[in-house]
Amino acid sequence: MKKDVIIFLLIIMLCAVFVLTTDFKTVDEYYLENAENIKEGDATVFISIRCDTVFDNAEKLAPALWEFVPEDGVILAETEYVLRDGDTVFDILTRAAKTRRIQMEYSGSAESRTVYIEGISHLYEFSCGELSGWSYLVNGEIPQLGASSYTLSDGDVIEWVYTCDLSRDILQGGVANE
Amino acid sequence: MNKNGIAFSRFHPVSLFCYFLLLLLFTVFTQNPVLLTLALLGALLFNAATNTARQTLADIKFYVPMFLLVALVNPLFSHSGATPLFFMNDNPVTLEAVLCGVNIAVQLCAVMLACKAFSKVMESDKLLALFGKVSPKLAVVLSMALRFIPLLKRKWGEISEAQKALGYFREESVFSRLASYARVFSALVTWALENAVDTSASMSARGYELAGKKHFSLFRFTRGDGIMLALTVALSAVTLAGFLLGKADFAFYPRVSTVNTDIFSIITYAAFGILSLLPFIFEVKEVLKWKYLRSKI
Repeated sequence: MKKDVIIFLLIIMLCAVFVLTTDFKTVDEYYLENAENIKEGDATVFISIRCDTVFDNAEKLAPALWEFVPEDGVILAETEYVLRDGDTVFDILTRAAKTRRIQMEYSGSAESRTVYIEGISHLYEFSCGELSGWSYLVNGEIPQLGASSYTLSDGDVIEWVYTCDLSRDILQGGVANE
Repeated sequence: MNKNGIAFSRFHPVSLFCYFLLLLLFTVFTQNPVLLTLALLGALLFNAATNTARQTLADIKFYVPMFLLVALVNPLFSHSGATPLFFMNDNPVTLEAVLCGVNIAVQLCAVMLACKAFSKVMESDKLLALFGKVSPKLAVVLSMALRFIPLLKRKWGEISEAQKALGYFREESVFSRLASYARVFSALVTWALENAVDTSASMSARGYELAGKKHFSLFRFTRGDGIMLALTVALSAVTLAGFLLGKADFAFYPRVSTVNTDIFSIITYAAFGILSLLPFIFEVKEVLKWKYLRSKI
């Protein structure tokens, strides 16, 4: 019986560790915590999020999702954020999503640099045809790196673009040429 | 021909097989909560009507925790949905994911209970009669697979009794007892593998796969079976029409859609409801008939 008590205590402790290490936040707490002001001389980067390729493939998108597509396809117009040391594209995207209340879901983890962006603003991978998903450009080029592996430098311009054709429509469609 | 005392199992294997096939197909391929609730209701009522009180209790002990587990696990892994309730490690737990989890749990329970009803109604002789001519191997595999769980349950009891006689299961400690269960389980798995091989060897030793072998079965396709089959097909056709017209469409992400309530949707729900409740209706009809006849004696 003594053995039982010890093992039960261990299980309870494991559950406690799980609950305590999990960070619970209400919706307002989550979105409020990231407001920050840009001071003179801070290193900054720019980020924008857009999904205008959806309009060329309108028939593939589920009707229920149109509610989440802005009329001009711009989910987040170009916005400036303070660049902290070692910030990756994923860090800036998370900050933008939090301060602007944009829904975002990812898989993988930032610590192991395996983040994959599944969806932004309820537009997910495969939401608009089987070749669709989120892709990003830095200074007009698609880096062959995961978003959590790309470390930014001062003045970089990030564009998150929804592709309906494995990024081909982004490069040809003029985003890169702009 | 009705060994298990279930009214519904008196029908011809072809009618029964078509019925369960269509019911399961509809249940698996829809997300509509109305249809899934109806499917669960039908399977639940039929199982409750044909179970003994002890079986019902055992079912409740199994299905209620499973239902809760499935319903709770979905919002932990699915963060889609437009209405966040709170954030866990910066991942939203959304209302849509919670509702979708409940829906998946309903679907899972409905399918499992329908399969339970299927194995209650379709005994191995029916399966052999149904598939014996077409594919003898499939018939043996199916009948073996379907009788596996009850067989394992019985064998489990035998093995654990033997182990108790050997002096195991004495300790009061829960974890020592768990270790004993693990030993029983390992013996059971070994036995099951050997038994499956033995059975197939025994079947081929008796010439089961020889050419020119004839099957004998007592099942005859009567008018009642024909009516049952026609009813199944008619109700399924109405349901299928509803499916194709998008009346059963339902999505949880990004927002929970509303249930269709126009006239054709209601016809679809009604057709599927009758389809899923058919076994229970037959059960009730039979009981009423029996009571009525007895009252006349």
